[in-house]
Amino acid sequence: MRILIIMLALFLLPAWADEPHKEYTSAEPFLPHVSGDDHLTGTYRYWKDPKNLDMRLAGSPDQSWKLNWKHLDYPFNKEMHAGHLALDRGLTLFNKLNRSGTFKNCLVMYRFNGPYETSLRGLRTHYPAFRTDLGRVVGLEEVIEHCAKLEGEVLQNGSYDNSAVSIYVASHSLGMPIKIDVSSGPLRESWRRGERLFHQKVGRNNMSCASCHVGRIGQSLRATVVTSPYGDVAHYPVYRDRFGITSLQVRFAQCSLDLGFNALKPGSQAYNDLEVFLTALTNGYPVSVPSERP
Amino acid sequence: MVDPMRSIKTLAPKVVVDSGQLHWVPHFIDFSQWPTLCKDETRTIPSPQMAHYVAPLRGDAARGRVIAMDPWRGNCVTCHEIPGEEWPGTFGASLHHYKQRRHTDANLYQQIFDVRITAPRAVMPPFGPLGILSDQEIRDLVAYLQSLE
Repeated sequence: MRILIIMLALFLLPAWADEPHKEYTSAEPFLPHVSGDDHLTGTYRYWKDPKNLDMRLAGSPDQSWKLNWKHLDYPFNKEMHAGHLALDRGLTLFNKLNRSGTFKNCLVMYRFNGPYETSLRGLRTHYPAFRTDLGRVVGLEEVIEHCAKLEGEVLQNGSYDNSAVSIYVASHSLGMPIKIDVSSGPLRESWRRGERLFHQKVGRNNMSCASCHVGRIGQSLRATVVTSPYGDVAHYPVYRDRFGITSLQVRFAQCSLDLGFNALKPGSQAYNDLEVFLTALTNGYPVSVPSERP
Repeated sequence: MVDPMRSIKTLAPKVVVDSGQLHWVPHFIDFSQWPTLCKDETRTIPSPQMAHYVAPLRGDAARGRVIAMDPWRGNCVTCHEIPGEEWPGTFGASLHHYKQRRHTDANLYQQIFDVRITAPRAVMPPFGPLGILSDQEIRDLVAYLQSLE
């Protein structure tokens, strides 16, 4: 009898242990494809074809959110902006790093379903991916940092030069749809963790990403109009008028400060998981760099 | 990332053109006490709390309006329409003619103190348990809302 009680106590111990009180916004069903936006905002039909955006919606301050800000991308927006300068800088840096050809080999050495690739074409569409040499799921910027380190250069994740190389690499995948597979393996684990983080309430305001970016899309916070989480990753790293060249994980750091908690370092596991989650929500949408956002 | 004296607790990323380093600059408000999304996070969020409201309101509507506009205290205008403010948010209910809704002071106090008691799915921060607003500041806000004819 005593043994039974002890065993019962051991079994129940995790429930007694002082679990941190975490709150979650009620979970929404997210699809790992950009067409899932139809269930969330119903605006996917307006922006699914970047070549034929509705001029009238783009011109109206009240309606332009329905284009998910895709009217700021090429080919609708043919303006010159600082993203193009970063693209040039990326080309220079890439040629400098890749003098012996090992930098490019390091970048393309990844596993995905299909033939072994040796060109940069389509590389952007397969990241984040599980890298066997690093032993975890990493985004493209982190791989660039890793490969530059092997060449003896410092290109920190999120820095201007890192994002410039990332834009240059992504420019080889222009118009190719993002395509990561989150149905199995480490990426599935990462997707699930990212989905959880997206709904977890944190920080000074006790809000989650989902507090605003699920049920309130198209409404305004002062002058800021809330966007859909679907289809966003296709234009990163992006030139932002206020912050300069911003990689996705630097954007996460800015989001963290807006929510009211200390920013994590780009490349941390939480940000990588969120990147996998958001990239999966962009599956099927064509890459568009360099791009600009306000 | 953080200075050795630990006097600056919160840093913001700054992208410097033609640099391989991501720079970090001091942020203007200290967030170090709040839980983050880090996988090793152990800090907690206060669970929903009932407010202890004691009857005479003793709030000042003019002070309440200042708090409602202050981005680092009430920040109500970011989500709610407030009379006299030209570019309000549209998340929450409009606060125009709020007195006509005939809420009691105690109810309003609870709504601002911790909205999770009555509306668990609300986005509004629980200002009381998080320590963003003091007792007197919430009373001022209640007085301001009750003054919106």
